[in-house]
Amino acid sequence: MELLLGVLAWPLAILGMIFLIAGAVGMTRLPDLYTRLHAASVTDTGGTLVIGLVLLLYAVFVYGSAMVAIKLLLIMGFTLFTAPTASHVLAKAALLSGLVPVDGKGEPLLESSEQATQLGRSRPDASSAVQEKR
Amino acid sequence: METFIVGVLLSFLVIIAIGIIVLRDLLAAVILLGVYSLIAAGAFVVMDAVDVAFTEAAVGAGISTILYLGALRFTTDRQKPRGHDSLPALLFVVLTGALLIYGTLDMPHYGSATSPAQTHEQVAVRFLEVSGDEVGPPNIVTSVLASYRGYDTLGETVVVFAAGIAVMSLLGLRRRRPQQDISDDERAES
Amino acid sequence: MLFSVIAIALLVAMLLTLVRALAGPTAFDRLLAVNSFGTKTVLLIAVAGFLMGRPEFLDIALSYALINFLGTVAVLKYFELPDPDSGHYAEDDY
Repeated sequence: MELLLGVLAWPLAILGMIFLIAGAVGMTRLPDLYTRLHAASVTDTGGTLVIGLVLLLYAVFVYGSAMVAIKLLLIMGFTLFTAPTASHVLAKAALLSGLVPVDGKGEPLLESSEQATQLGRSRPDASSAVQEKR
Repeated sequence: METFIVGVLLSFLVIIAIGIIVLRDLLAAVILLGVYSLIAAGAFVVMDAVDVAFTEAAVGAGISTILYLGALRFTTDRQKPRGHDSLPALLFVVLTGALLIYGTLDMPHYGSATSPAQTHEQVAVRFLEVSGDEVGPPNIVTSVLASYRGYDTLGETVVVFAAGIAVMSLLGLRRRRPQQDISDDERAES
Repeated sequence: MLFSVIAIALLVAMLLTLVRALAGPTAFDRLLAVNSFGTKTVLLIAVAGFLMGRPEFLDIALSYALINFLGTVAVLKYFELPDPDSGHYAEDDY
């Protein structure tokens, strides 16, 4: 049992730590907000879920407590939904405020911040309607 | 290991505090204050003060951030450049800090088994043994807060409630949105 | 041992995130860093609970996850809402 736990938990933990560190390094090194969002998402969903899985293994096999396992599952499930939502809201708010995405060389991908705002307001189906109203 | 984690968290706190002082962007300072509360609360959890951590997270990271943001909406988010000499203020702050640190020297050490609360022969034992029958809740902290020092807690709650009402009346209760909408429509028509 | 290693990795990741929170440059970058930092705090509290052999601390981790999300959305709402004096408000924005 002890061996099985170690064999299962250590690789998962190392994977989770790779997610954590890679996301954090990406957050300091990438050029603009939109690319940093990708890096942060790796940590927020990947790292949380994998490390949560490690803790879940210990909660079930070492502590044998259903309550602890349920709380862990709640945290993991909640993070699974809120982290992408927060990223989306953040990206949309940044676009609406006119923050222009840049490419790898630092060149802006859009011509003006108004274009970014327009992009933030557009929706797949209703964008033309919005255009007409303005 | 716990000592190490608490030490690292406390050094994060120092870094953030310096960052808040240096930054001129007040919105960034408010956001960093939220992180500050979060880290402080994490340190409280690691030091076993779970109830304090709960309060710190809810009040520090939650409510006070939102109140600061509400205040910023009515002012500007740039700090004014200071024209005056801040040396007396610095001296005063350093003096106050030194006094506070001097005050902590009298307190029992963290986790000390010989602190007065542990060695007093009646108080701790009484709470541990009788509170279940006298008050009811299985959590002794709850029964101390809500019953043994209930008047104290009532006073605190009244103060917090009054402060909340005052802040709400300062920030949130002015309704100007309807007027604005009318003027917007008129502008669109003309 | 396992939990100590995870805790140290979390602290390193927190430090890197903190660098982004202090460096900025825009408020959105800081907000992203704060959100990510909050997630790491949730994980750290959960791991610390297991490290000390008291996994009941997960209650706090759970409530932090909630506060973290709400805080981010609340601050972004501040960006969305117009200045009270400018009189400009776009209904389509949200």
